[in-house]
Amino acid sequence: MFKSQKFFRFKKKSIRVIKIMGNDYKAYLGGIIIMLILVSAIFAPLIAPADPYKTNVTKRLEGPSFENLLGTDSLGRDILSRLIYAARPAVLVSFGGIIISVIIGIILGLLAAYVGGILESIILFIFDVIRAFPPIILILVLLSIIGPSLLSVIVILGVTIMPRYGRVVRAETLSEKEEDFVEAARSLGADNSRIIFKHILPNIFASVLVLSGMDMASMIMWEAGLSFLGLGLQPPLSSWGVMLQESYQYIQTAPLMIVWPSLAIMLTMLGFSTFAESLRVALNPKLNQEV
Amino acid sequence: MFIYITKRLLWVIPTILTVLLILFSLSYLLPGDPADIILGPRATPEMAEELNRRLGLDKPWYQSYLIYLKNIIKGDLGTSIFRDRSVLTVILDVLPYTVILTLAGMGLAVFNGISIGLLAANYNNSYFEKFLTMVSFITASTPTYIAGVLLIVVFSVNFNLIPSIGIGEGGFLSSLHHLIGPALALSIGWTGYIARLTRSSMLETLDQEFIQTEKSFGIPRYYILYKYALKKAIKPIIAVIGLGIGRLLGGAVFVEVIFNRPGLGRLIVNSVNERDLPMVRGGVLAAALLFVIANLIADISYAYFDPRIKQK
Repeated sequence: MFKSQKFFRFKKKSIRVIKIMGNDYKAYLGGIIIMLILVSAIFAPLIAPADPYKTNVTKRLEGPSFENLLGTDSLGRDILSRLIYAARPAVLVSFGGIIISVIIGIILGLLAAYVGGILESIILFIFDVIRAFPPIILILVLLSIIGPSLLSVIVILGVTIMPRYGRVVRAETLSEKEEDFVEAARSLGADNSRIIFKHILPNIFASVLVLSGMDMASMIMWEAGLSFLGLGLQPPLSSWGVMLQESYQYIQTAPLMIVWPSLAIMLTMLGFSTFAESLRVALNPKLNQEV
Repeated sequence: MFIYITKRLLWVIPTILTVLLILFSLSYLLPGDPADIILGPRATPEMAEELNRRLGLDKPWYQSYLIYLKNIIKGDLGTSIFRDRSVLTVILDVLPYTVILTLAGMGLAVFNGISIGLLAANYNNSYFEKFLTMVSFITASTPTYIAGVLLIVVFSVNFNLIPSIGIGEGGFLSSLHHLIGPALALSIGWTGYIARLTRSSMLETLDQEFIQTEKSFGIPRYYILYKYALKKAIKPIIAVIGLGIGRLLGGAVFVEVIFNRPGLGRLIVNSVNERDLPMVRGGVLAAALLFVIANLIADISYAYFDPRIKQK
């Protein structure tokens, strides 16, 4: 097939997806929220009204005012600035974690589907062992072994979610392998790597993309939850989970303080899940019903 | 069906054995020497030796793994280092609270989720339906710990309606009162999911021919909706309950910590913080067993309601 022709087909498909999503209010809502989070993560120093680490003990636990729009925390730090800076670990954890999951998942899934035999059984068994633990408990135990840091949180979240991708990639590769167009390519002399990169990966791309949108929401949820339990990211780093943990002690005296990071986490998760849902419907018009 | 279940059950055994091996290897993987952490700096070598013997760390690893397995089969999970009680009794003490919490959370999620989903299906393509869809998206993207925290802020701190800690001091009503907040917090995420599932399943069923036939017979709308359609549409919802119970078990960790309730989740978090190795092993094993059973129920109920799965 000519390059231009192929490009044209890809463009046509993208235009169709964008058209469907353009009529869906969920796509706009999700897109705007994700943009907002990305912008505050990248341009945090420009947007934040104050230094998120500058303490001021004379103004601790103050309510919202013109100087500190959302008030100050127990060390007198500006909550709004901390909230904006906390978008950075959230973005790092969700994107970093998902990249690790998807890469390992695709490699193991393809290996299982292509090599088969004992290797397939071993890979499936690894998936099953990881899935035998409730995710949060597995993450907890692994973190206590490696020790909490931004990098270890990212890696552990990635590994814990990975079996989902491995299983999806294996299942879809097995069914794609039987498709006529793959058979045709093979009979024309295409080798395995060509079939994988030109025919199979583009076809499983859609399901992986949708799944990862949903999982990025769960990764943000788990990161914040772990930090809330004191086992994830550690203070004084600004992260929504750390902020939850710090304000939890003051829930009786300054209840408003814990509401802000909670809203930030909910909004982020809402953004990722609505966008993923809209993408799912657009990529697979047969499945017009939502689940 | 029988063959499928047997195969699925047999597949569980090696998984559990590997889980046990991982739990066993925790004593080698956790940073620091267990004896140092537990006994502190003033321990004599004899004390350290005695503790290592109690933890089974004085033999080569395969021997102590076999001893560990043998003890587990006998029901001996070791002795908790900080509580000085048998791990099994500690777990059995707190397990009922976690099970009740999970079931109550699931019950609330199913009831509320189906109600919202039915309303959304009934008023499909209206603004009310869009509103309900948004509500289910928002609840589905609310982590349990945030639901718990917000419930405490609104109903405990501001209105003083529900207690924010503990399980109540005996008595059915007091326990129930203390269960409302935690169960509601636990149910919120799954409520949104079940609502969306109910809506799509109902819409799919209402599209089918037998409903059209009933309509043409002049059977009242609410009768069709709640008697015929719901009966058929509820199947996929029953099928995901097993999956949901597994998920809620994980969420229970946060709810128990936030509402300060006894339970398996809080026990594991505390023992990880205290580096109480036998307790961590026992607690994680109990959680993994519960999770594996929940997943098993989920798979079997899926296969029961969707026979195509069995062939895979």
